[in-house]
Amino acid sequence: MEAIILKIIIKSLLVIMLIVYGSIAFTMLYRKWRKKHLNLIEDTFANVTSMYLYPNPNEEPDLIKIQRTFRNLGIVPSKPRNVQYLIDLMIRTQRSILGENYTKLKTLFTQIPPYGASANKLNSRKWYIKARGIREIYEMNQNQYTRDLIKLRNDSNIYVRREAQIGLVIFLGWKSLRLLPYLKRQMTLWQQIKIVEKLKDLYPEPDLAYLRKAYESDKPYAIGLIMRIIRKFNLQEDVHYIIQFLDNQKFDIRECALYCISSFSLNNDQLGEIKEKFYNISNVEQKLQLLKYIQKISYEIDLPFYKNLLYNGNDIIKLSVADILWNNGYKEEVQEYYYQQYAMQNDGEKVPV
Amino acid sequence: MRKALVIQEDIIILKILERLVMLNHYECRAIRSINDLNIEDQSANFDIIISDILFDGIAPLDFVFQIQEIILHQSLIIVTNMGQKNIQREVLASDKVNGFFAIPLDMDNIKKLIA
Repeated sequence: MEAIILKIIIKSLLVIMLIVYGSIAFTMLYRKWRKKHLNLIEDTFANVTSMYLYPNPNEEPDLIKIQRTFRNLGIVPSKPRNVQYLIDLMIRTQRSILGENYTKLKTLFTQIPPYGASANKLNSRKWYIKARGIREIYEMNQNQYTRDLIKLRNDSNIYVRREAQIGLVIFLGWKSLRLLPYLKRQMTLWQQIKIVEKLKDLYPEPDLAYLRKAYESDKPYAIGLIMRIIRKFNLQEDVHYIIQFLDNQKFDIRECALYCISSFSLNNDQLGEIKEKFYNISNVEQKLQLLKYIQKISYEIDLPFYKNLLYNGNDIIKLSVADILWNNGYKEEVQEYYYQQYAMQNDGEKVPV
Repeated sequence: MRKALVIQEDIIILKILERLVMLNHYECRAIRSINDLNIEDQSANFDIIISDILFDGIAPLDFVFQIQEIILHQSLIIVTNMGQKNIQREVLASDKVNGFFAIPLDMDNIKKLIA
């Protein structure tokens, strides 16, 4: 009986072993075939692209032939992995080429399969497919889908709306800021930075008319984004926008305003304005930051302002003010305060100085 | 006919450069890696070499010096993904390098050099 059971176990193990070996062999062969096939697609794509960009003299590119070639290679809607591979090749190529050839490639890619494969992804219910579709659209500069991207700018998924907003910035440039007051969902700091960088890379000439239209927005992320844009493009004439938020109720907006104002120099009126706002800031750290900034951009020491802080401010502020005064030749004022403070500590008893 | 050698690992850039060179009346040898170089290439005396600098087993600057010594040629143009300023400065420090183009690039600039 035991021998029979043993035989069955051995046979079962042999079968399992054969299945494992079989699947390994199949995987290896499939991988080899697949790699060969992908290389063939890449070779064909390279030939097509190079012949399209630099055709023989007096020879027009035969688009029907190109379409047929790709179809024969399996670039058909029923084989999405092949289609995706070709899209990746297209994106890679467009990233590598500039100038007149870039425009030619853009035209070519609209005329060969996969037609609208990226646009079709926008209808997918899965967020990652949707986001990928948007990315492909803007990477390949297919601006005919701008309207579709506008619809997705408020998508509930953060990655989808992030890609859609970046796509809009790429296609519409400064005009895309018009949409800022209509955004309904949170925009992360990373997203704000990406938008600012894209604007700087692709549209280095600021269009203030569109930027100023966005000033109406009262959303914290929109305010943050506008302040970052003003800083990045060094828009001195719009610095008043940043100044108004220096004493905002919200900590993050104040933080952003302090960061953005730090790269500007101000005139006397503006300097006076921020000194007034200084008193409205509740956070000591932020007050210190603003104090350092005021000192950095001031041509001369505003003694009444500093003395007021020295006598009425918070201890940390007082120390910082004393430091500023001491290093700028106002030692006597600091000493006077010091002894006066010493006198106060003795319960009002006058101590001879 | 003038002779050109193009070495690029990226087959798409390789093919585009090959077409560009051929249309400018060069006989072109296009290869994807320095392993594909053969003994005949050493004596071919190319009018122009358009090459990447990033290859397995050799540092970019070493490659530039080695190819200048091994392959006879008139001028050398570098087309590479490795377009950092310091690399460009070091490569162009060699008098024999006629151009350095970082990807993404405008092929018209290469066309002007090889015409």
